Amino acid sequence: MFRKINNWCIGALAVMLMTGTFEAQAQPDGATLFKQCATCHSPFKDGTGPKLQGVREKWNSGGAKDGSIYHWVKDWEAAAAADPYAANETKVKPGSMMKFPTLSNEEIDAIFDYVDAQVENKPAAPVAGGDGNVEVVEQELPMGWIWLAFAIVLTVVVVSLGNVKNRLVLISKAKGGEDVEDVPSFIDDIKSWAWRNRKLTAFLILCVVIGVFVALFLGLYTIDVKEGYHPSQPIEFPHSVHAGINGIDCRYCHNVVTESKSASLPTVNVCMNCHKQVTGTTPEQQEKIKKIYEAAGWDGNQFTGKTKEIVWNKVHVLPDHVYFSHEQHVTAGNVDCMQCHGDMKKRTETAQVMPVSELNKIEGNIQLTKPTLTMGWCIECHDQKGISDGPLDTKKDGYYAEIHKRLLENDPKLYEQYMKDGKVSVKELGGWECIKCHY
Amino acid sequence: MGTTKKYWKGIEELNETPEFLQSKQQEFAGYQTIEQFLGNEKIEESSSNRRDFLKFLGFSVAAATVAACESPVTKIIPYVNKPENVTPGMATWYASTYYDGNAYGSILVKTREGRPIYIKGNRDQGINKGAVNAQIIASVLGLYESSRLTDALEDGKVGTLSAIDGKIMKAVKEANKVTLFSNSIISPSLNKAIGTFASKLGEGKFEHIQYDAQSYAGMRAANKESFGLVVEGTENGIIPDYDFSKAKTVVSVGADFLNSWLLATQFTHQFSLTRNPDNDWMSKLFVFESQMSITGSNADYRGMIKPSEQANVLAYMLKAFGVSTDVSTALSEPTKAIADLAVAELKASKAESIVVAGSNSKAVQILANKLNEVVGAYTKTINVNNPINLFQSEDEKVQKFVSDVIGGKASDVVIFLDTNPAYSLPNADEFGKAISKIKTSVAISQFADETAAKCKYIIPELHALESWNDYQPTKTHFATAQPTIRPLAENTTSPIESFLVWAGAAFRGGKDSRVAYDYIKSNWETERFATQSSYTTPDSYWDMMVHNSCYDLTVADPSAPSFNASLNVASQLPKVSGATEVVLYQKASIGVGIQAANPWLQEMPDPMTKVTWDNCFTMNPADPAYSYRKTYDERHGLSLATLTVGETKITLPVYPLPGQAIGTIGIALGYGRGANGEKIGKGAYQVAEFGGHELDENGKPKPIGANAFKLVTFQGGSYSYESAGALSGEEGEYLIAATQLHHTVMARESIIRETTLETYKKGEKESFNPAHTLQKINKEGHHEEVPISEFNLWDDHPVENVGHRWVMSIDLNKCFGCGACLIACQSENNVPVVGKHEVRKGREMHWLRIDRYFSSDVEASIGTRKDPDTFDYHAAEVAQQNPKVVHMPMMCQHCNHAPCETVCPVSATTHSNEGLNQMTYNRCIGTRYCANNCPYKVRRFNWYNYPSYKKFTEINPAQDDLSRLVLNPDVTVRTRGVMEKCTFCVQNIQTSKLQAKVEGRPVIDGEVNTACKEACPSEAISFGDWNDVNSLVRHESSSTRSYQALEEVGTKPNVYYQVKVRNEKNDILEAIQSARVAEVKHH
Repeated sequence: MFRKINNWCIGALAVMLMTGTFEAQAQPDGATLFKQCATCHSPFKDGTGPKLQGVREKWNSGGAKDGSIYHWVKDWEAAAAADPYAANETKVKPGSMMKFPTLSNEEIDAIFDYVDAQVENKPAAPVAGGDGNVEVVEQELPMGWIWLAFAIVLTVVVVSLGNVKNRLVLISKAKGGEDVEDVPSFIDDIKSWAWRNRKLTAFLILCVVIGVFVALFLGLYTIDVKEGYHPSQPIEFPHSVHAGINGIDCRYCHNVVTESKSASLPTVNVCMNCHKQVTGTTPEQQEKIKKIYEAAGWDGNQFTGKTKEIVWNKVHVLPDHVYFSHEQHVTAGNVDCMQCHGDMKKRTETAQVMPVSELNKIEGNIQLTKPTLTMGWCIECHDQKGISDGPLDTKKDGYYAEIHKRLLENDPKLYEQYMKDGKVSVKELGGWECIKCHY
Repeated sequence: MGTTKKYWKGIEELNETPEFLQSKQQEFAGYQTIEQFLGNEKIEESSSNRRDFLKFLGFSVAAATVAACESPVTKIIPYVNKPENVTPGMATWYASTYYDGNAYGSILVKTREGRPIYIKGNRDQGINKGAVNAQIIASVLGLYESSRLTDALEDGKVGTLSAIDGKIMKAVKEANKVTLFSNSIISPSLNKAIGTFASKLGEGKFEHIQYDAQSYAGMRAANKESFGLVVEGTENGIIPDYDFSKAKTVVSVGADFLNSWLLATQFTHQFSLTRNPDNDWMSKLFVFESQMSITGSNADYRGMIKPSEQANVLAYMLKAFGVSTDVSTALSEPTKAIADLAVAELKASKAESIVVAGSNSKAVQILANKLNEVVGAYTKTINVNNPINLFQSEDEKVQKFVSDVIGGKASDVVIFLDTNPAYSLPNADEFGKAISKIKTSVAISQFADETAAKCKYIIPELHALESWNDYQPTKTHFATAQPTIRPLAENTTSPIESFLVWAGAAFRGGKDSRVAYDYIKSNWETERFATQSSYTTPDSYWDMMVHNSCYDLTVADPSAPSFNASLNVASQLPKVSGATEVVLYQKASIGVGIQAANPWLQEMPDPMTKVTWDNCFTMNPADPAYSYRKTYDERHGLSLATLTVGETKITLPVYPLPGQAIGTIGIALGYGRGANGEKIGKGAYQVAEFGGHELDENGKPKPIGANAFKLVTFQGGSYSYESAGALSGEEGEYLIAATQLHHTVMARESIIRETTLETYKKGEKESFNPAHTLQKINKEGHHEEVPISEFNLWDDHPVENVGHRWVMSIDLNKCFGCGACLIACQSENNVPVVGKHEVRKGREMHWLRIDRYFSSDVEASIGTRKDPDTFDYHAAEVAQQNPKVVHMPMMCQHCNHAPCETVCPVSATTHSNEGLNQMTYNRCIGTRYCANNCPYKVRRFNWYNYPSYKKFTEINPAQDDLSRLVLNPDVTVRTRGVMEKCTFCVQNIQTSKLQAKVEGRPVIDGEVNTACKEACPSEAISFGDWNDVNSLVRHESSSTRSYQALEEVGTKPNVYYQVKVRNEKNDILEAIQSARVAEVKHH
């Protein structure tokens, strides 16, 4: 039996899995192109815009002029003016459609090919994020030291008990009239052994002391360094589905990342742009998406106005004395999101940035060594990252051109020194100064 | 240059008192014992011994370590529907308008994630051209005051708005008459709403009385009598508009127009425009006053007169113009000399002059009007065709109303709106008690204050930052105020809505009410839109209003009205009798006490006395009657004295303030708020040394200072702020918290430099701003005088000409000392409030202070010895009886050779390649070496965890769940044990740089702002990139007036000061300074 599903993206996945070579095609990529339509249109279901599957067929058989449908996509108003059939179509969904004047006829065909190829079918393959395997436990801190303390206490207890037992045996023997020598206690045994091997003992003690100190300091450095922190969330959000399978750009949801210090959590109205239509295939998905509807006050047909905030657990918590600006890094510095966050397309849960080892695997990333989200990690990158690949004036923007001019005119030697490695690094222009991030 | 002479910081140092010698050893006053620190007397009774202590210590260290391992789970809540104009993490600015009945200004409000956190003046719009005062900037904190009313009250109990509305409407319907008692209403829409309400009542059943705590009724009456000019539709005289920017000669008789007089924000900006010595002309300011005011401290010539002599000064000057009056023209010799000079200048500048008088006496104002008329000011600088609408107080009506209420004859319904007569009337207590005699008393108020608390009903009012409003401060200027946050409380309302509801013309709109908005908007569309032609649709006009916040109609040119009043006014002058004349004035911080609970303002040092958290009697230490302590420090307070005026007695400490006229004392208004423990905010009450409030014998918190409104008298139809009485000493001392213990700069020219306009105009830098030089042996083996900058102990930081070099330039000529910068800095940088007792110990945290220096008799002018050889250092400590004053803003100088940087053991303070002296809180371990090594004393140490320690609960906004919202999220809240100091608002520098990078352009000069620069009403502070050769700071730093404080120390600061230029004749100073030129030429 066909099971009724509405989720076009899962359909898309099914097709991808079936065709396999989909991405390698040289022709216009209908799946990718369709993404810009998908905000409003679904293949199978009317949403903000009408469903698209079979639309081309309908137009062709319905008496539309040749090529009218391409015209419509590029500029629906002009098309409506030129073709009575198209004019009639404006009544299907009153409201204005976006115009796509840059799409070619081939590309539009590719989109329709893709849409028509979608099967309203449940895909066989499990979909990440919907498999229910997401870890939901709140992360616990390493509790090793507690066990260590326990071990020490227990050792002491065992040794003391042993001692007590020996004493009791002696006392009972003495009471029984037996003449007993005072049996040396464990401690006495150890003491005498140590005295006999005092050089070795001294060496061992020294080793232990140094070891303890090193461990202590290394331990102190790791305080509050928590790579891979992933607290539980009210909605288990799979980046892998959104950014990965559906290929939604980071900036679609984190839409102030280019203009603000914070990337910001997507607001519910942004979720609803897609989730008005995307209601989920599996019960798990539907359950999660229902939470968005509750928050947005969406009853399936309209917004009721009864909204409710979603309270997330914050994943990246910088200390108060650190000022970090996404705008500075993403817009001014042109740093790719992946440099710090890693490949979010693979993330099935909301978690902190990936560990350095993972980050370093990504092509094009600057290779770093310090644990993520530590100051060492930041300044390591500030040292390696160039403001420009070559001389500063190759950066054709006024700010650095001015800095370049001042360097050239007033301190060419300093500039030469900067350029020894072929670039001017962030550090060289003050990226290692405290007050750049702490104020 | 070298000298073996010794300098003293205070009399204590000179006399080497034991306390001084002890305290001298400590850079930071007040070493604390453990008991003090714990602040608990019971600690001594406990029996912990050393072993216990070690156990506790060990346990707490371990516990703290363990606790530090786990960071708490933080929540994050995104918007459900993000408002379009909010970008999380970025500021949004709104143009709005501030008006509290006393101060007015067009403002810009900075909001972050929908909450207002900072206010600055709107430089592009409005009559004040961006000039605001400390009270306006600090008002943002009032929004988050947790004692603001949240619900309507009936007999002190919470009731529903609708029920109370019903009762009020019923009472109004049945009333014989309804009286609305309000402050001056300059809102066209509120007036219209009141009109709607009044017309509903019917003819003769409604009466509106306006009342200002500081009345200008005498001035209005004088203008009515002089020129027959009245406010349209009323019998009230007008107040004309003044334009100080056109006045070459300004004569002020007791009018503090740079601080509190009329539209002070507008006047400050206008006056500052005339204080540039490089312009064609520079204004000359003559001030005759009793109490050293901000205006007086900036005078070129200042005469000390008793309040009763104000009319004499004006009569004397009139006489010189050939106008006779029946007022005595007898003046003291020094005053006469200055008056003669003033007359000469007035005669020279003719219409380009302004004479202003501060008195609220009609008679005095008539004389001032006549003088203005004689010089022709009404044709140029004073515009009667554009009257000011502020301060419409009708004192006679008020007086009658007050006696009616006391006599139980008041109207059945009295509505109090934004006014607090039970605090600010002379007989406030009597009036307050009589409020219960009113059949139905209603207060529309933000607080259950002195008046509202006694009313039957209180309707809670919105804060200005939560509500829509409109204003018409002058005839041709219209402004709107817009909300910058959703109302914090459910039931607070706009008074416009209340009157419309009571008139049956609207229904309550709840928390998100649009009643007031719709009403104002429709008024603007129906009434204002037609008066202009620039905007073609009502919507575009309204959008412009909301965007700009104000709009001007064409101002009619000044035209001289004909003067008709009799000048025989001697009999109408206020009568004062008593040994000591008293003048009541407004402080820059507290004003008339509207924001008395604002801890920022309470802790702001008074511009003249530098006293925080108190009001004092100010008295000239040279006064023969001065028999009180002349010095004070952490442990030694000032003498208490009691002033008796008629039945009224006020006991306050006596502060020795040079410049106070002999035989007079000054008292600041606005103190003593909440004398009956009213809930007006925790900051309004005295805080005990170890937390909590000081309580009186009834267990009520003690108010701060004494209410001086009690001394106001009603004379000749208006309230008089001058009286006289007897001052007698009291037993005991009163500890005061003043941030500056010494008065003079003791001729240290490397701190303050000043000259006369005449000397400056000669253009010889050596005379008024000589370079610091040292002798050096050159290659030939000869001695040579070389500039101080050639001597370097360290390598130079590569900040000049490469990258940015952030530099500040402060024009001492334009700094009037108002303190707006200080509050702006506090607001922008989360500077903690520390309370009186910490300030007393010298632990105030302000990053920026304004040093106020007096001149002494052995100085030709501040910073200049009359005679280097016989200069008397004892005498230099004592300020003159009527000294000259310099205000000098002092903050971290961001030295390029910073002494603090070299002594930090952990490199927590380092130099940036942009010239900033960086303070890294997370690295600081609190050794305080840096502060010890700072020659400017601008570093501040966090002695406590101010945001959480119980001692500061009452005063520190960061400790209140609501007030905390005012904190700037871009600036770290510092914790205990770290140093802090001015950062040059590095957050703004970074923001502007980022903006430039994103937009792909160099940083534009003037785009980088520090809070102090934004706040300065006279634009005395400029800030920018010195490496930008076209920048203003580059230009100013290379001007002949430019110098650096303590330049000879070799710290190479990034702050430049501009030599103060007085427009005065000072022969001795000119002789000294021109002698220098001769000396240089001789070499």
